[in-house]
Amino acid sequence: MAELAYSSAEDAALVRAAQKGDTDAFEELVARHRDKIYARAFSMMRNEEEAIDLSQEAWVKGWQRLAQFQGDSSFATWITRIVINLCLDELRKQKRRRTESIEGMDEESGGVERQMPVVMTNPTERLERGELRQRIERALSQLSHEHRTVLVLHEFEEMEYKEIAKAMECSIGTVMSRLFYARRKLASLLADLKNENS
Amino acid sequence: MRPGLICVCLFFVAALMLPTASARAQSDSATFEALLIWGTNDTKTDSKLKPADPKLAEKLKKTPFKWDRYFEMHRENVKLKLNEEQTVKMSRNCVISVTNLKDDQIKFQLFGKGTLANTVTQALPRGQVLITGGDAENSTAWFVVLRRVE
Amino acid sequence: MNEEQQLKLQAFLDGELPEKDAREVASWLARDSDATQLHAELRNTRQALKGFEPQLKVPESREFYWSKIKREIERSTPAPVPERVSLFTSLRRFLLPLGAVAVLTLAGIVTLHQFGGSVVHPVQVNAILADAGAFTYRDEAQGVTVVWLSYPAEKKLADSPSRATLPAK
Repeated sequence: MAELAYSSAEDAALVRAAQKGDTDAFEELVARHRDKIYARAFSMMRNEEEAIDLSQEAWVKGWQRLAQFQGDSSFATWITRIVINLCLDELRKQKRRRTESIEGMDEESGGVERQMPVVMTNPTERLERGELRQRIERALSQLSHEHRTVLVLHEFEEMEYKEIAKAMECSIGTVMSRLFYARRKLASLLADLKNENS
Repeated sequence: MRPGLICVCLFFVAALMLPTASARAQSDSATFEALLIWGTNDTKTDSKLKPADPKLAEKLKKTPFKWDRYFEMHRENVKLKLNEEQTVKMSRNCVISVTNLKDDQIKFQLFGKGTLANTVTQALPRGQVLITGGDAENSTAWFVVLRRVE
Repeated sequence: MNEEQQLKLQAFLDGELPEKDAREVASWLARDSDATQLHAELRNTRQALKGFEPQLKVPESREFYWSKIKREIERSTPAPVPERVSLFTSLRRFLLPLGAVAVLTLAGIVTLHQFGGSVVHPVQVNAILADAGAFTYRDEAQGVTVVWLSYPAEKKLADSPSRATLPAK
């Protein structure tokens, strides 16, 4: 009976119960939103194992910080922000361990994207939704972490430039440059993928 | 018999409390200990770093932080009379101000690079700990821990 | 078209420009075909991404995924402090009228202390935070108050040991 009540309860009610220590209520919230949180982690990390670990860490942190959730945003938005911050921390750690290629750094800041020819075709035309989704997935995986992150935060999380800058600990100018490069690169990758198949 | 024994014990406790309370009333000064702690998950750290007190490290580990290792970077003892305030430098960029208020209350301020970062007024009796923290480089963290020692 | 113009075009598309700048860009778009084409490409890419976020599912069963979270929650949850509860329960159970008088006497002495000494108040934290992103966390069982500031590491409110210059002793 309790299980039924949980599954039909609204998020706000589950959060209130969880804030009082009800782990079953919290488990229901996890079940409801785990795919979205995992997907966000995966979109940033591009690694299944890391995405699982970070998404679970986000849920644990969410439990520990439940008392601070005031309902200013939806619970889903709140927990998504936690996983985003964890992913950003992890990406920073990895960046320090990873050797960045000089070419890669030039690509980010050297203005390659300014010289790319403009893509005239609209990828949403003439492609089935499922196919477009797959193409976007492949194209996203070809971006660098920084470019993909800024794209994910702006396009999927609908964060403003200044919010992204704060989250990524960089300037608004850097956010704008990375977003511009990411979009241009994505446009050319989507056009190339289309050309590959046709 | 047993309830009677408890009553006797309670009277003794009451008798003991009187001189302690009056002694405390006469001395309104207090000593605080301020610690600068560094938190990290890096397993390779300088062997010269002094690990934080194990009990304090346990308290820090039980908070919702992700760090497992804590090191004491700096320690200051501050003795303050009632309503007295003192500023203490904890690091190159970090200065704290502690004011000893009545009823075990303290006012704590933290300045980073000369700018006020936060002000906290709360009771801080013996056994309680006030921790202010933030991110440091390389996914580590700094903490300023304040507690009353006398 | 220079970099600044391109980024301004993007900001216009994203609604990040102040009204005056947005009007200028709109008028520029009306007369510059290169700018119009680039704007169209950026808009098409944005539209392509809208609603096409990859739909992924956690590749673990509900129970297995939850079991790891639950284990970590239990590991990190502080244990309750039993002594105070049991002492209170014992006092309540074994207090007789004579014991009640002893408690009243004790209470009277404690009340007298309030005028001459200090009383431990429940911890009420009043925090004024210059940092809008900061939060306060209180763990009653541990007797810990944490104020976490959200300044980025680069702000260097305090130094990590690699570059710390600690005050001279």
